[in-house]
Amino acid sequence: MLKLFKIIADAGEATAKYPFAPFPVSPGFRGKPELNAAQCIACAACTTACPANALTMGNDTADGTRTWQLNLGRCIFCGRCEEVCPTHAIVLTPEFELAVANKADLLQKATFRLQQCEQCGQPFAPAKEIGYVMDLLRQSGVAVDEARRAEFASCPACKRKATVTRDAVSQHLSQEAEQ
Amino acid sequence: MSVSEQTKVGQNYVDGLRERFGAAILETEWQTADQVTVTVKLGSLPDVVEWLYYQQGGWLSVLFGNDERPLNGHFAVYYVLSMEGLVKSWVVVRALVEEHRPEFPSVTPRVPAAVWGEREIRDMYGLVPVGLPDERRLVLPDDWPEDLHPLRKDAMAYNQRPAPTTDDETYTFVNEASGSTRDVPLGPLHITSDEPGHFRLFVDGEDIVDADYRMFYVHRGMEKLAETRMGYDEVTFLSDRVCGICGFTHSVAYSSAVENALGLAVPARAQAIRSVFLEVERLHSHLLNLGLASHFVGFDTGFMQFFRVREKAMTMAELLTGARKTYGMNLIGGVRRDIMKDERTRTLKLVAELRAETTQLIDMLLSTPNLRERTAGVGVLSKQVARDYSPVGPLVRASGFKRDVRDLHAYAGYGSLPFDVHTEDSCDVLGRVLVRAREFFDSLAIIEHALDNLPAGPVLLEGFHYQPHRFALGFAEAPRGEDIHWAMTGDNQKLYRWRCRAPTYANWPPLRYMLRGNTVSDAPLIVASIDPCYSCTDRVTLVDVKKRKSTTVPYKEIERYGRERKNSPLK
Repeated sequence: MLKLFKIIADAGEATAKYPFAPFPVSPGFRGKPELNAAQCIACAACTTACPANALTMGNDTADGTRTWQLNLGRCIFCGRCEEVCPTHAIVLTPEFELAVANKADLLQKATFRLQQCEQCGQPFAPAKEIGYVMDLLRQSGVAVDEARRAEFASCPACKRKATVTRDAVSQHLSQEAEQ
Repeated sequence: MSVSEQTKVGQNYVDGLRERFGAAILETEWQTADQVTVTVKLGSLPDVVEWLYYQQGGWLSVLFGNDERPLNGHFAVYYVLSMEGLVKSWVVVRALVEEHRPEFPSVTPRVPAAVWGEREIRDMYGLVPVGLPDERRLVLPDDWPEDLHPLRKDAMAYNQRPAPTTDDETYTFVNEASGSTRDVPLGPLHITSDEPGHFRLFVDGEDIVDADYRMFYVHRGMEKLAETRMGYDEVTFLSDRVCGICGFTHSVAYSSAVENALGLAVPARAQAIRSVFLEVERLHSHLLNLGLASHFVGFDTGFMQFFRVREKAMTMAELLTGARKTYGMNLIGGVRRDIMKDERTRTLKLVAELRAETTQLIDMLLSTPNLRERTAGVGVLSKQVARDYSPVGPLVRASGFKRDVRDLHAYAGYGSLPFDVHTEDSCDVLGRVLVRAREFFDSLAIIEHALDNLPAGPVLLEGFHYQPHRFALGFAEAPRGEDIHWAMTGDNQKLYRWRCRAPTYANWPPLRYMLRGNTVSDAPLIVASIDPCYSCTDRVTLVDVKKRKSTTVPYKEIERYGRERKNSPLK
């Protein structure tokens, strides 16, 4: 009995002051995922990796937009999205107070513009992904200037067609490659 | 996978089977060095399993069906035996069942441990175990259509189910008492775990004469979900959610099943880190159960103290994995997070604190006269019943058997970590408490040792090739016994079949024998002593066989009676 009293006395007050004081979490805690839409290229890697289908991506070709959506009600806070994101646009924050009074508040959305093919006018990829590809090439030392954007902004089908047309005109390599 | 002749462990069992059963042994296939699947003629199934079980030191870990009609035109049944005789290995006995004759000879009359598995095969695949004494459903609800067997490949989608047709249960509870008894329903929620399960105690006055129970009120259809909706690499996150306490253990068991099937060598550092996380899970689980043990003998201050200290183990988990529960740390081929210097230092500090504080608490708990009085000699699981039913974890260890997969079939980093397998011979609730207390300190030592000797290198194996239709076992010792997973890969990067057996599945069947001969007020304590992975019974029905009277008692009342043992609700 005395042992017990000693333990209780030594323990002091075990209760935290939360919610009247902030409750600290460990570094590396996996809380609410947050998207930095400016950084996101809408490539959909996170939606493919998400085991819980909390992240989804939907295209509206009539509108020419792609909408990224996070459903916090389905999120399991595994952080796979953060791992696979090529641009570090989505990160898990330490935030854990996620209760809402309205179910719709659990949804977060971000809408991105789709790139229309310069040739056929069909949307085929997120516009920011085209910019990302050009940036990547510049980064690896290929000279890509803005004037060539039209070349990159063509859908795979039109690119194939262009190649066939070009090669039909001349069996030689393109001027650029010859140089 | 090709396993070379020299490395095969368990060849003696295969040789023995061939010698004894000759032509009944159709095929043997090795999945890993110590896992062999032996296909036998259907008629010899009971003989083969019985021989391995009782003559060769086998224990039945899990059994399950598989719809292999798209692969070879047959159904199959698998009986997984953990061989714990002189040679430690796994022998899986497989038999094919013809589609037009969906029945197989029941093994249960020879090996009682098969009872739940065979009932489940009948529910899920519609294969009839001929000769199985218990013809009741196990998993499916009473009003489920007769001819709909959910795990058949052509049965149904994972997200559909037939609409319920009735609210009435028609399940019959079995009472083997010879005299008259009174019925005490305990449930639909259990007493410790606040999870649904319906117990029926048959009592004579205060004494439990027999007991029966029904589970699976919250069957989530995870196996079907994994086979149809998820990719094989996403199932690690689903398996994390099998259990609210030992989820990481399930995730390790699942990952290693797939790794074994694909023949992947997981880096040593990843294995060691898995062991650390597994032991962190054991820490908080054992503290929870020790706390509950205090609660159920009426020592609520002890309960509060154990839960206060347990918070340090939860902090340790949060620090190492980023979450208090459902760590989500496994991928096929390793783990997702390394342990850095700062985390290591802080974990070691927490280990030291936990050791000091828990030593005090356990010392105090064991010197409380009430604990010994209430738990010694209560809920006895006799050695014979234990041998017949293949229970696992502290339950079987407190009945004198040295069963612990960490030791028997070392996985993750356990081959090089310091721990003992603790056993007790008292076979009672007290023995289980003592085993858990000792294992707690071993877990602390394992964490310290592993953190001090983490092998260098990567934590994840990358760039392997997925192959369909490969299968193997994966296993891990959860705080309450071993988790066994069997996974078969399939097309489109999806599992063909996933069988996941949680430890409590193996511990329920012998529970009725543990309840017999005890008093009603001991029932919550006995059920809690297997540390069941579902929870609290919120009401209890008592059936008095002599007075032919049935009373339903609120859970709070039976819990109060269990602690105070005054003013019996039966009177």
